[in-house]
Amino acid sequence: MHLFVQAVILGLLTGGVYALMASGLALAFGVMRVINVAQGALIILGAYLSYSLYQHIGLDPFIALVLLTPAMFGLGVVLQLAFLRPLPDEEREELSLLVTWALALGIEGLLSVAYQTTYRSTITSYADRSWILAGYHISVARGFAFIASIVLLVLLFAILRLTKLGRALRATVQNPTAARLLGVNTRTVSALGFGLSVATASAAGAAYGIVFPFNPGSHYDLISRLLTIIVLGGLGSLGGAVAAALLMGVAESVFATEISPTWSSFTFFIVLIAVLVVRPQGLFGARVRGAI
Amino acid sequence: MPFVFGAAWQMNLFFFTVMYAALASAWNIVGGYSGYISLGHAAFFGVGAYAVAITFNHVGIGGGYRPFYVLPLVGIGVGAASVPIAWVAYRTRAATFAIVTVTLLFVVQQLAFNLRSLTSGSQGLSLPVPSFPVSTYEHPFYYAMLGVLALSALASWYVRGSRLGLMLFAIRDDEDRARGLGVQTTFAKVSSFALSVGLVAMAGGIWAYYISFIYPQFAIDPLVTIGMVLMVYLGGKGTIWGPILGAFILVPAQQYLAYRLGASQLYLVGYSAIFLVVMLFLPRGILPSISDRLRHLKARRRPERTEGAVSDEPVERVAVS
Amino acid sequence: MSKVGWRKGALVAAVLATVVAVAAMAVGSSVAAPSASGPIKIGTSLSLSGDFSDPGKAVKRGYLLWAAYVNAHGGILGRKVQLKIVDDASSPDQVVTNYRNLITRDKVDLVFGPFSSLLTGPAATVANRYHYAMLGPAGGGPKVFALKLPNYFFVQPAPVIKCGDSFVNYVSSLPAAKRPKTASYASLDDPFASPIADRMQSKFQAKGVKTLYKTIYPSETTDLTPIVEKAIAKKPDMIVAGTQSEDAYSQVKALIQAGYNPKFLFFANGANSPTEFPDKVGRKNVNGIFSCSDWTPTAPTNGNKLFVSQYVKRYGGTGFDIDNNSAEAWAVGQLLQIVAKKTGTIDNQTIIKTLHKGTWPTIEGNLSWDASGSPNGNDLLVEWVKGRLVPVFPKSVAIAKPFSPKPAWGH
Repeated sequence: MHLFVQAVILGLLTGGVYALMASGLALAFGVMRVINVAQGALIILGAYLSYSLYQHIGLDPFIALVLLTPAMFGLGVVLQLAFLRPLPDEEREELSLLVTWALALGIEGLLSVAYQTTYRSTITSYADRSWILAGYHISVARGFAFIASIVLLVLLFAILRLTKLGRALRATVQNPTAARLLGVNTRTVSALGFGLSVATASAAGAAYGIVFPFNPGSHYDLISRLLTIIVLGGLGSLGGAVAAALLMGVAESVFATEISPTWSSFTFFIVLIAVLVVRPQGLFGARVRGAI
Repeated sequence: MPFVFGAAWQMNLFFFTVMYAALASAWNIVGGYSGYISLGHAAFFGVGAYAVAITFNHVGIGGGYRPFYVLPLVGIGVGAASVPIAWVAYRTRAATFAIVTVTLLFVVQQLAFNLRSLTSGSQGLSLPVPSFPVSTYEHPFYYAMLGVLALSALASWYVRGSRLGLMLFAIRDDEDRARGLGVQTTFAKVSSFALSVGLVAMAGGIWAYYISFIYPQFAIDPLVTIGMVLMVYLGGKGTIWGPILGAFILVPAQQYLAYRLGASQLYLVGYSAIFLVVMLFLPRGILPSISDRLRHLKARRRPERTEGAVSDEPVERVAVS
Repeated sequence: MSKVGWRKGALVAAVLATVVAVAAMAVGSSVAAPSASGPIKIGTSLSLSGDFSDPGKAVKRGYLLWAAYVNAHGGILGRKVQLKIVDDASSPDQVVTNYRNLITRDKVDLVFGPFSSLLTGPAATVANRYHYAMLGPAGGGPKVFALKLPNYFFVQPAPVIKCGDSFVNYVSSLPAAKRPKTASYASLDDPFASPIADRMQSKFQAKGVKTLYKTIYPSETTDLTPIVEKAIAKKPDMIVAGTQSEDAYSQVKALIQAGYNPKFLFFANGANSPTEFPDKVGRKNVNGIFSCSDWTPTAPTNGNKLFVSQYVKRYGGTGFDIDNNSAEAWAVGQLLQIVAKKTGTIDNQTIIKTLHKGTWPTIEGNLSWDASGSPNGNDLLVEWVKGRLVPVFPKSVAIAKPFSPKPAWGH
């Protein structure tokens, strides 16, 4: 039983970080109908940048977040303007998939040149320590990563609910034409929304880099999990993405501990297939004509 | 060609060129004709490769030419086995479908790693090395792959002109309307998928025998899918010769770049750059862009002729009988 | 197809043929012929990009160092050595392409093996077809020897699978009270790593050590915490891990975080890296951990002092900073030099026949091989003592005595 609860705790901690990563993906799809396959690579980029900042200036990754997030926001806007806006509306979904995959490869290539393929890890002073809570141990690094992710998610939700940009984004998600009629500049909003989505990637990357070793090729593993999560949660649904991420984090961890570590990543896929057979639009998604 | 250029290294180049041409051509049947972007085709390439390797390790048929005779069975088998998978996947559309196929890719790779008693997991599987004469060693493989390319191109041409092709084009244009008009979309989608992956699996089987040693991460490799897709988009999605042209340009180019640029990860950046350029500036691919240009020139040179010159694109509206 | 279609098809076919012809000629613009005089051309495919790029680059350093030294001291049989190193991006497709190119297009005189068993299998098969000898610095997994290729020689003291034999011997030599009674095994699904642990497990079980937990985890696993949790659940005396580098570091970190200190801890790889390991897990955490190695800078083997001094002169640092892969590369070149001198020729068939007999003294020790290219010796047992990685067994190369049990983390 002890092992089980420990696994659940571990799963929640990991799921929280996945939730932050997946929310960016869900936002990009909701606002722009863009599947950003490069999200994994951008997360790894965030991880490398925070790693470099830590190595050279000794800046703790959670503090480096403050610097990185605006920078990555800017990068996101630039990427959207350069590569996604030129795509024609009708084929946007499929083409964005391919274009962002190409971007992911490009980022992987550049990172390999810059950092080589050795695995890196941002090893902070607290990297080895664990808190003990009622007999269960929680590694400090994972704990901080989880807390940071939750804080940022709350921040994201706050932006979406309370700011003008947030309202414009939500309007665009619900109905782009109506939003435009109401005076929302959907082109600007799309760029800013994408920027926001990439900003979440950088934050998640900083957290990820403390807990897990990574190299430029790590983005495949990440993106395959994230894509499964947002399909499970329902494309475009932020709440769905968060719920699905936590669910999958726990499922994978429990499976690894109770059944077999070899097949643990399978849990993702099995759950996905099961959901697709029963409910193709995911747990919280809507069956929209042509969009699923 | 083997009677013009004979050296092993040249045959090797032709082998890979023809292989990707076959793969791209087969992918086009799904991606080009029906508009469903499948990013998981490499999974079936790997399944074909492992099917041949497992047959030889566990059933012990023997080497020589036998693996080539097994190929049609592999193609049909994989095609048939893909039907239930395709049926589940096709319950989704567009972007979700692409994600599901990517997931499929990783699932198959995981299976290859984990079903150790069958696939030897990460240790890899070796295939018996045939004792073909050294000077013409590559030839049987090359001919076999050429055969699969011919089959692929033939299938591509046949489907295009057939009722199945019309159904696929209707789906590409507007699936809901096609459904509403009574087109059996599920049948069309699943059968085109089965045909496409059967061909891909055969190519995989030959490849496994050629390399003589396969591993999960290389037999089921996302870069193989990306290669196929890139070649189709470069040459012209939805055309017959487009994918083949794309392969004939990119494979020698990649080998040349690897030879020159070698020791750097720049080949990934190169792939990425080519892809982005094609997507953004040449979205229809080379062949359709050329034929558009030609049509433009022809129309301009003969102003008295009306537009609507002969094209070999089939009629786009579906007339359902 | 309509008439326009056929014409377009013919046009395309012509374009295709031209494209391929031009490509073939461009790629093949450096066709050469082998000659009996002039430089000796040695071709090799290395992983300079992709997953194996770090060890691949270390191998390249070793080859370049060796070639420079040899050429400055009379070459081989009076001829200078010319290396042609191409990148295979850690891909089997590329490696078979590379060796075909090297042998049939560039017409090199000799070939050296690529990095990793994964690539050595296909590469050696190609070389064998053309009756080229292949001396391999790093391709010693069981699957390679299962191919039973007569032309392949793994230039290390022992096949990789026997990495843990010395540790088993050491543990068995301890008095009964001090030996471990229980063990957990956690290995990476990898052609090197898991066979080592599997072999050790069957040997330990035969000696009465009870297996509490055994698992093989997939190669992309970054999170080893759940696995380590399960391995330590029943409190084993000993943990044997068939690892590569990254997962070894992760296992150590997970053990520290779980606060568990086994009496005996062995890693197939990762812990044998003199600079990386303490870097990644913390220098205060390394003592008492065992691993295996094919080479150490202090081993009194043929030409080792020379190698170490040459390496340090060219690349800086100390002997303890030298990556094993560079030593392996040097050993390959050194072996070639010795056999060429002995037979007076670099003919491939002669090399193959000659190397299958007798023992050959290299910096990796005195090497000999069986008919499949598998070496007949044993690897070194190394242990971290006072923050340094030192050989502790066999006695002829040990510079410290092995000690156990493992001290607590941080001591």
